[in-house]
Amino acid sequence: MQTSTIFLALLILTVVSFILGLRRSHTVSVGHGGVKSLHSLPRHYGYMTALWAGLPALLMLFFWVVFEDKVLYSLVIANLPDSVKAMQESQLGLYYNQVVSFATGNIESTQLNEDQIAAAAYYNSLLSTGNFIKGGLVFAIAIFGASLALQRIRPAFRARNNVETIIKWILFACSFIAVLTTAGIVLSVLFEAMRFFQSIPITDFLFGLEWSPQMAIRADQVGSSGSFGFVPLFVGTLLITAVAMFIAVPVGLMSAIYMSEYATARFRTISKPILEILAGVPTVVYGFFAALTVAPFIRNLGESIGLSVSSESALAAGLVMGIMIIPFVMSLSDDIINAVPDTMREASLGLGATMNETIRKVLLPAALPGIVGGILLAVSRAIGETMIVVMAAGLSAKLTINPLEAVTTVTVQIVTLLVGDQEFDSPKTLAAFALGLVLFFVTLMLNIIALYIVRKYREQYE
Amino acid sequence: MNSMNNKKKYDTDTTSRVQASLKKRYAREKRFQLYGRMAVLTGFVFLFLLLADIISKGTPAFTQGFIKVSLTLDPEQLDIQENPTKDDLWKADYSAVIKQGLRDMFPEVDGRKQKKQLYRLISIGAQYNLRDYVIEHPEAIGKSMQIWLMAHSEADSYLKGQVKIDDPEADRRITDNQASWLDQLREQGLTEKRFNTTFFTSGDSREPELAGIKAALFGSFFTLLVTFLLSFPVGVFAAIYLEEFAPRNRLTDLIEININNLAAVPSIVFGLLGLAVFINFFELPRSAPLVGGIVLSLMTLPTIIITSRTSIQSVSPSIREAALGVGASKLQTIFHHVLPVAMPGVLTGAIIGMAQALGESAPLLMIGMVAFIMDVPGGITDPSTVLPIQVYLWADSPERGFMEKTSAAIMVLMGFLIIMNALAIYLRKRFELK
Amino acid sequence: MDTVSMRKEHNIPGESAVMDKQLADKPLEGIVENLRECDVRESKKVHQYETIGKPFTDNARISARDVNVYYGDKQAIIDASLDIGSNEVLAMIGPSGCGKSTFLRCINRMNDIIPICRVEGSITLDGEDIYGSDMDTVLLRARVGMVFQKPNPFPKSIYENVAYGPRIHGLAHNKAEMDDIVEKSLRRASLFDEVKDQLDKPGTGLSGGQQQRLCIARAIAVSPEVILMDEPCSALDPIATARIEELIDELKEKYTIAIVTHSMQQAARVSQRTAYFHLGKIIEVGDTREIFTTPQHELTENYITGRFG
Repeated sequence: MQTSTIFLALLILTVVSFILGLRRSHTVSVGHGGVKSLHSLPRHYGYMTALWAGLPALLMLFFWVVFEDKVLYSLVIANLPDSVKAMQESQLGLYYNQVVSFATGNIESTQLNEDQIAAAAYYNSLLSTGNFIKGGLVFAIAIFGASLALQRIRPAFRARNNVETIIKWILFACSFIAVLTTAGIVLSVLFEAMRFFQSIPITDFLFGLEWSPQMAIRADQVGSSGSFGFVPLFVGTLLITAVAMFIAVPVGLMSAIYMSEYATARFRTISKPILEILAGVPTVVYGFFAALTVAPFIRNLGESIGLSVSSESALAAGLVMGIMIIPFVMSLSDDIINAVPDTMREASLGLGATMNETIRKVLLPAALPGIVGGILLAVSRAIGETMIVVMAAGLSAKLTINPLEAVTTVTVQIVTLLVGDQEFDSPKTLAAFALGLVLFFVTLMLNIIALYIVRKYREQYE
Repeated sequence: MNSMNNKKKYDTDTTSRVQASLKKRYAREKRFQLYGRMAVLTGFVFLFLLLADIISKGTPAFTQGFIKVSLTLDPEQLDIQENPTKDDLWKADYSAVIKQGLRDMFPEVDGRKQKKQLYRLISIGAQYNLRDYVIEHPEAIGKSMQIWLMAHSEADSYLKGQVKIDDPEADRRITDNQASWLDQLREQGLTEKRFNTTFFTSGDSREPELAGIKAALFGSFFTLLVTFLLSFPVGVFAAIYLEEFAPRNRLTDLIEININNLAAVPSIVFGLLGLAVFINFFELPRSAPLVGGIVLSLMTLPTIIITSRTSIQSVSPSIREAALGVGASKLQTIFHHVLPVAMPGVLTGAIIGMAQALGESAPLLMIGMVAFIMDVPGGITDPSTVLPIQVYLWADSPERGFMEKTSAAIMVLMGFLIIMNALAIYLRKRFELK
Repeated sequence: MDTVSMRKEHNIPGESAVMDKQLADKPLEGIVENLRECDVRESKKVHQYETIGKPFTDNARISARDVNVYYGDKQAIIDASLDIGSNEVLAMIGPSGCGKSTFLRCINRMNDIIPICRVEGSITLDGEDIYGSDMDTVLLRARVGMVFQKPNPFPKSIYENVAYGPRIHGLAHNKAEMDDIVEKSLRRASLFDEVKDQLDKPGTGLSGGQQQRLCIARAIAVSPEVILMDEPCSALDPIATARIEELIDELKEKYTIAIVTHSMQQAARVSQRTAYFHLGKIIEVGDTREIFTTPQHELTENYITGRFG
């Protein structure tokens, strides 16, 4: 039986359970004075029965489907001759895929050997048995659940509370997903990164000055020296981030000050949508703009004054990244500046200070911790940015701080290493996870520190 | 009198000193305001430059050049027999007929090299247009006719005036011969510009003039569908739990910290998660909207949770009290009374989240949606790509024709985003909380 | 990412709607709050009354004539005419809100900050029109200082708090002069002995009463001629209040002081003349002792005897 058929049948069973529960609540109430004697409305009894029937069965179906392939894989492989089992994991995978393709009728038997054909037959038998069990289990659980529920239906039984408790648990599970996601990210990235560090020592990675991720495909390949030194990537990322901050912070901060202290209401109503558009432009569009317009422009400009500028200069990528971050810095700064109480402004203006003196000598110093926190958040955002640098920055890891040269960043390397036909296990692809781990960790630290600073700052004024 | 003298002394002393400082200070004030205005305008100018660049590059892509070719549907050249079946017609050699037609139109063309240049005026896809025509009008076989055929992207580029004719021939994609032939055709009125429907009706292609965003649009649609179906219910339920039920304990703090952190994790890390867990561990199909949708929904979850929480918080407590007062249970209060009132805000947040998801590309790169997708995906498990990634792929291509296609695709993408944001703003204004 | 910032970044309703309102008119909250408490136009009766008593004096520092103040459509002050004499303390009393602070803030043009506020009539300082085109606001505010309801020292050191005013106005040419100004101001505010060893500690670390005296020192440091005080003791405990009242008595030797106060006892203790404000109109002005023992107007009497307010 197909999963979808089972699912449909389960749905029907659930509806039937609802009706049964509803009916039963009526019948049970007969001797005690009618429907009014029931604690909850009849339909609550229906819901309850439906939930007791459907929910566990659905969960069972879900887990079965998710793990089915893995279990099948292990079982089929276990049944193969030892010589096959000794194969490398990737070859084994290919072997298995052939078996499955034949079993599902996608390829002809001429491409396979005896063992595989036998294994395919085994696969099919397992599959059909499995489907049978799957369907049986699901129905059994559903029916069991429904009958448990039906038994409990009495006038005094608080079905509605029961239903509400179940729903509360569902709500809780939904919010717990956030925790699961973080755990998933950490575990998956960590796991793969650990595998990477089995091949490449962690000190080589963290302190190595050269990044050229080549790996031998076969043991006898010549010229397979690969170095996985992280430092040039780190420096490249920081260089581009620095250029971006150099633009975003002054412009963003000054704009926020102007908008909150000087601008008329009319000016604000006109500028808000424009700034919202700026903030909503997808990063791939910025990347396109950077690669096809800004980079050539800077290159030509540089060449006309005698400088040699790379066509993938850090300056071009950083400039556009800075533009992208301007709205972010503006909105954070606006928040921070508004948190300074008006009494400060009043006191300063009351002494006869001009507005800019008030801003420069009272407001900004008072807001400084908050602004620093905001800058850290912006840095974190810049470090994690991908598309702009993938399209506009370079691929070779040059260790330099000259913004006119091409550098590469952590995110660019992650993309390059993974968007290609790499087998999953080579250290080359695992390196991407190691980079991902560092990226996650660094941005997390920056965020935590920044939020801590901003919180302390806000507490001052509350 | 004494006090008057003292007063005067105060006056002149302070007053004069203050007055001395005034000029400089006001000049500073003016400069400061100027810097502020310049800063704001910088943002505007950048945006303007960006949009102007995209629009100027992309607008030509919405028209496609066509050339009127006179040709004869010679059955021998087509390689078909008497009474051909549909299958025969499908397999006939239309390209030969087109080439003959071109040779007839320019009899002076001689030599293999020149002929090749001549043939390159017409798109490779034109033969399929001719095929479709013949299948529909099989009676035309054997007759001469004139038909509008799609120009090759290089020729199209020339017709749109994008080729710098002064450059040396080696630097150009259009040879002098081709340029003169196209000029001739233009003078004779045998060229035409039409609205580029191919852009919207076909998937990706190696030839710029045949490439379109249909596959990407469908891919984006399916991906967003999955994203919405997953993140909206989960996000709203999570918000309800956190606002209405969560006790003040460590577990709740943990959940809230996680939500805030997830909002700040770089998008590419979500891609790594998707790759490691959903593609490798759960072995879901690579580059399918299903996986893309799951990854994007995890990314938009914090947004939806936070915005929904704000909306629920801002529902007036008097509504809750009234509901509880008539004996509604907590869940009934929430689902029958609070949530409907909060719904506009919740939907606004959802639309904004979807708009963000539409523009995301980094995580989807990781899960493999970078393939060359020609066919329109039919469901959430078919390999597909999304619009921003289509932009990324095209941006890499060297052909000149792809640059304008990329810009045009960006215009379509931005168009969708502007509509979605405008919708969100409209919702917000319409149901603005007093 | 901080949730508030995220909400801002995504322009989420609720928060954003509130933000929009703030951005739209950006009034200073306290003022408008008070205004809502007494919508002046509703009580037409007040318009009828003429100011009785002695609103004018001979050597007036500040003269207000026919001053009307509007917040948008609402009128906050009606036909106010009043003199503040040299080296005297004038107390302004009256029911909650209703114009006293507004009137005070007109004198140093602090109401300019509020876009919807409109001032008509004339107010002069030593004969010069405050709202005239050649009156410079910066200079005006150096000559007319203000102490606010809640102590608001800057988050700087005590020294820097006091030095701020002289610094921006360029009143000291070197460090020695500045030290001198700071010490003198702190002494006059009767705070110096308490803080002389901790001048570089933050001003926000002081107690409430000390902070308010710091604010007074800060105002004095620019050598104003007039000091406006807007309920300076309302946030302080009785002991701190008593100290400040003593201080005011000393200060009047050098400065002209106008003080808005809720406490009639305070007005009786510190002022020489008192003006009674009712719903935006000055009902009665006179010598403090006379106002409190033999008030001439019925409304004044009602307020003083506690019938309302």
